[in-house]
Amino acid sequence: MKTIDIDYLSLTIGFLLLIIPVFYLWKFKTGIVKATLIGAARMVIQLFLIGLYLKYLFIWNNSFINLIWVLLIVYVASETALTRTKLKRNLLMMPVAIGFLVSSVLIGFYFLGFVLHLNNVFSAQYFIPIFGIIMGNMLGSNVIALNTFYDGIRREQQMYYYYLGNGATRQEALAPFIRQTLIKSFSPAIANMAVMGLVALPGTMIGQILGGSSPNVAIKYQMMIIIITISANILSLMICISLAIRRSFDSYGHLKQVFKEEKKK
Amino acid sequence: MLEIKKACISYDNKTIFSDVDFLLKEGEIGCITGPSGSGKTSFLRALMGFIPLSKGEIYFNGLPLSPHSVEIVRREIAYVPQELSLPTEWVMDMINIPFSFKVNKVHPLIKEDLLENLQLLGLEKNILKKRTNEISGGQRQRIMLAVSTLLGKKLILTDEPTSALDINSCEKVLALFKKACKKGIMVLAVTHDLAFASACDKILHINNNNEND
Repeated sequence: MKTIDIDYLSLTIGFLLLIIPVFYLWKFKTGIVKATLIGAARMVIQLFLIGLYLKYLFIWNNSFINLIWVLLIVYVASETALTRTKLKRNLLMMPVAIGFLVSSVLIGFYFLGFVLHLNNVFSAQYFIPIFGIIMGNMLGSNVIALNTFYDGIRREQQMYYYYLGNGATRQEALAPFIRQTLIKSFSPAIANMAVMGLVALPGTMIGQILGGSSPNVAIKYQMMIIIITISANILSLMICISLAIRRSFDSYGHLKQVFKEEKKK
Repeated sequence: MLEIKKACISYDNKTIFSDVDFLLKEGEIGCITGPSGSGKTSFLRALMGFIPLSKGEIYFNGLPLSPHSVEIVRREIAYVPQELSLPTEWVMDMINIPFSFKVNKVHPLIKEDLLENLQLLGLEKNILKKRTNEISGGQRQRIMLAVSTLLGKKLILTDEPTSALDINSCEKVLALFKKACKKGIMVLAVTHDLAFASACDKILHINNNNEND
């Protein structure tokens, strides 16, 4: 089975469907029509550019270039995470980047080596999509997690002080905040996993079926993608938080100003 | 013994208070008084290292409070803030929190002692079966005061322990502290309550003119 290509005319016909959301957003004066159109335009440009560089990554299929690509997306993802969370770059850049890199490398190679048993784990056909999906998921969950963690400590400062003031170690005093962070950032993923395939067919599976794989193969890949993304998300978060804690508290355990512009208390 | 020498706290080049000296010995109840905004709570927090002193020194049993000693000093402290909201559904879970800390495990909770303290504070024992959202802020604070004396600490620091209480309850809180002091525990409380202050062994008055008694 070969996937049917979409020519540019057909692509344009497909894009005409955007008239529906734009019409209703305009009719009810939502004020987000412009943002919707800009978003769609950005998507087109970004995806064409990604298509272009992915094409060459697949043509070259070079281990060294693929590794450089991973380092590059780790850097871009870390910058994006810090921009979205408004956390200070000098304090959090290294923890976030190390969390992303270590977690994606460990989980990615584990999957490629021990599950897929690839002779060449750098093979672009598997390496690029697996690392790409791991990184994309890690970015989203880390942004939620870092915000929850630092906002929680600032909001519940009296609780943090209560713990420390009654002899808790810093690790013990931070445990409730880490717990809350894990619950908030992973509950959606866990809920999503529980209804996988019931409410909607998942993306990886659809992609594989459209690409010509049998549903039998597609579901196995889908399961693995869910497992590796959740594992990589938690691992990256724990690495990031354990490194960030060393940098974001002073020697008395007091939280430094971690946000670029301190939000009013 | 808690000794404060020439303590000064400043924020953004503005001095909150300066040259504060204070000494509290084993078995004494001390209080910090002063108008709102004079820095009483900041002073209390400085004793635990949460706010650094701009000048001066704090000694706990001869040990100066520093980044190296702060955890050692905090191990000897029980702290009860004015408003406390802990992430627990049940009162009993809230009580168990400080006992779950590694340093406090040498003094496990003895329920009979807790009930005795609760009774001293005028609280019924069935309060232990309630949910935290079923009790008032004052009750919550009294429960945590009852807990603070059971943690085997040498110093209890508390912020406005009687602010949400009537006169009878204030006396009960004092009775609890006096009972703890008989065991050599020191108590230092921030207070606006003149009746409470008059019953203390030591009073530290902080005001904008930075005078202290």
